[in-house]
Amino acid sequence: MTTYILRRLIQGVVVLLAVSMICFIIFRYLGDPVLTMAGKYATQQEIEEVRRAFGLDQPTHVQYGRFIWNALHGNFGKSYVSRVPALGLILERFPATFELAFTAMLIALTLGVGLGVLVSLNPSSWPSRLVMAGSLGGISIPTFLTGVLLIMIFGVYMGILPPFGRGETVQIGFWRTGLLTADGLKHLVLPATTLAMYQLAVLLRLTRAGMREVLAEEYIKTAWAKGLPPGKVIVKHALRNVLIPVVTMAGLQFGELIAFSIVTETIFQWPGMGNLLLQSIYETDQPVIVTYIMLAAFLIITINMVVDILYAVLNPKIRYD
Amino acid sequence: MRSKMAILLVGLLTLGFLTAAQAAAETSLVVAVDTPPRMMNPHGDDSDAGLSFMANFFDGLLQRKGPDGKLVPALAERWEHPDLLTWRFYLRKGVTFHNGNPFNAEDVKFSFERLSNPEVSEFLNTGKSIDSITIIDDYTVEIKTKTPIPWFANNLHQIFIMDKESTEQRDPGDVMIHPIGTGAYKLVEWVKGSYVRMEANENYWEGAPAIKKVEVRPITESSTRFAALVSGQADIMTGVPVELFEKVKANPKVEVISRPARRSIFLALGNKPGDPWADIRVRKAMYMAINEDEIIEKVMRGHATPAAQIPDPPTIGYNPDIKRLPYDPEGARKLLKEAGYENGFEITLTGPNDRYVQDEKIAEAVAKYLAKVGIKVKLDVKPKSIFFPEVSEGSLQFYLIGWFDGTFDMGRTYFKLAHTRDDAKGYGGLNGTSYSDPKLDQMLEATADMVDPAQRKKALEELNKYAMEEKIVWIPLHYQEDLYAMQKDKGIVFQPRPDRWMVYKEIGVK
Repeated sequence: MTTYILRRLIQGVVVLLAVSMICFIIFRYLGDPVLTMAGKYATQQEIEEVRRAFGLDQPTHVQYGRFIWNALHGNFGKSYVSRVPALGLILERFPATFELAFTAMLIALTLGVGLGVLVSLNPSSWPSRLVMAGSLGGISIPTFLTGVLLIMIFGVYMGILPPFGRGETVQIGFWRTGLLTADGLKHLVLPATTLAMYQLAVLLRLTRAGMREVLAEEYIKTAWAKGLPPGKVIVKHALRNVLIPVVTMAGLQFGELIAFSIVTETIFQWPGMGNLLLQSIYETDQPVIVTYIMLAAFLIITINMVVDILYAVLNPKIRYD
Repeated sequence: MRSKMAILLVGLLTLGFLTAAQAAAETSLVVAVDTPPRMMNPHGDDSDAGLSFMANFFDGLLQRKGPDGKLVPALAERWEHPDLLTWRFYLRKGVTFHNGNPFNAEDVKFSFERLSNPEVSEFLNTGKSIDSITIIDDYTVEIKTKTPIPWFANNLHQIFIMDKESTEQRDPGDVMIHPIGTGAYKLVEWVKGSYVRMEANENYWEGAPAIKKVEVRPITESSTRFAALVSGQADIMTGVPVELFEKVKANPKVEVISRPARRSIFLALGNKPGDPWADIRVRKAMYMAINEDEIIEKVMRGHATPAAQIPDPPTIGYNPDIKRLPYDPEGARKLLKEAGYENGFEITLTGPNDRYVQDEKIAEAVAKYLAKVGIKVKLDVKPKSIFFPEVSEGSLQFYLIGWFDGTFDMGRTYFKLAHTRDDAKGYGGLNGTSYSDPKLDQMLEATADMVDPAQRKKALEELNKYAMEEKIVWIPLHYQEDLYAMQKDKGIVFQPRPDRWMVYKEIGVK
């Protein structure tokens, strides 16, 4: 086990290095940040002076080496656009993204698993068919369309839910939360629903498939035959066995929701990390982009590793050698 | 579980109605703008979107006021221009910064010197053009420029004055996020990505502004910004997209304001010897082949006016005698035949797709019109972050770009966009096709030390006519229109400025 974890750690570091290098090379070609930094009316000489001041005149490998060295010391460089440390800029946005992803995951898990179970019990009834058809929609309708539709219906025509932003927030230490005010919760409904839609559909279909398989097993028939109450049969005996893949899936999805809720955040003007990333790409703010992608890679690698290790803990039959 | 969800949902909805019912106080304003602020350092962002925020927290020595953008005194009560290189400013007395520090000549010297530090300034060009700044007494400052700059004063509404003491004492990171100026508003809170809240500076030297509280919400996505206005969450919206204009106009609660924008959209065309388009007949043919009226009607949905030149009417150098060449595809074909390009030629049209109103669609339309007279246009449309570096490299053939000059003087624009590229002198930095015409250069250089307004106006008008009619340096398309929308019954008195800045001390309440 220890060797396995160690090996995974080394792999993780290699992946991070590769990601950072690819980012660094790709974003060389994304545009020249120096032009904006020198101002509209700067002359060529002034542009070159800015390039030197920010060390951008040096060859790529030197810049990359310096970036890695600084990153090892926890310094990811300053944003070209706002001229403050990039990592701070991103972490400042983390609570907003986390709360959005968390709420979306909560919606997806409760509704996805709940509906999945209900549907599996009575697969041929028309409400079940309706839910299944709806879940296909959830998988295939792109997020931006769901978002714009929800804004149009609930924000503009009915006017009952705010269409954008985070609303009133409360600052607790470094964490700015919108979960403690009514206004903040109201603002969360539409974006969280939009973000949850796809995940909900996936979890629903996963739960349904698993449940239908398990419900046909002999031991469930035995349980029914013993005369156990339905709740016990369904939840304790059937659902529990279905949950392992569902929870794994949910864990992986959660990492992705945090790292890549860009579309939803942009539509709802949600002040999270995804919004910042998109804006940074538009403005060629290389330090922020690279730091963000490194952070996202780190997050996903960590979650993957935790899930792998949890497998071994949950099911002792699984061995990693 | 489900019934609990239902109760929660009903509860949330009721809360929604309650908060919506609390009408905002009359003297507060929520504004949905299209671009977020990058920082709160007044010299670090030279875009109009950034300066629009800064103009509320800071003052310049001079300012531009109201819908016509007239240059009037601000922190300087008056100014003199004793010789070609010298500008003397007499400063206003009794002005204090938001932190209580008095404003004096030291702050002016400090702020202008800060312009040439690349770490904190995007006004390097202005900073480097200054030779010396002399404090004559506490309220008199003399600035000498290295070369004569006729438009120096015209630019001073963009150069904001910072407090020397607190800027030097504070951590550089703090200077980037906390503005301390003399402006009509003080920053209350900036939550990045969410809002900028400001409150009136009751001690403002012009008198306290009418609107006491302003919340600016940057919403980049235009349909969301529209939803914010229609749902009543914002009082004013900037940057109404042309495709939503009719919808906004049809809404009874909303009033739409449009004003001609200063920015003109045009096509820059190179003249490298040997290229077909170096021939003036070909340039004329390309001009005449483009149906600008149809572009305005179909692509801009009527929200643009045809342009015959680059500067807009209030700019020094605008020449009312310059007329557009008529739309005449037959004539264009004839001219091409005369020039020996009966079978056309191939040219690449480059342009941004995220910078100007409908930029990509305009480029597509141009390509189609030119195809009709036999010119094969290869479209190369890309994000502005890639497009602009290509323009500054100067190796494009033909591209779409927009421009207006904050100084209301055409001289600087022409040096930047049309003068033969000369890195040593800093000319032609955005002459993206490396266009070159010795006579134009000569006429332009002759205006460099021309300060007398009448003489300067005449020279620039002649130059402009020469460039647009005899040389067709550019093919002009149209002037954009700035579109705003606001709540009708809030009693807001709002007249948009020519530079699109949102200056809240200029907004009143009925």
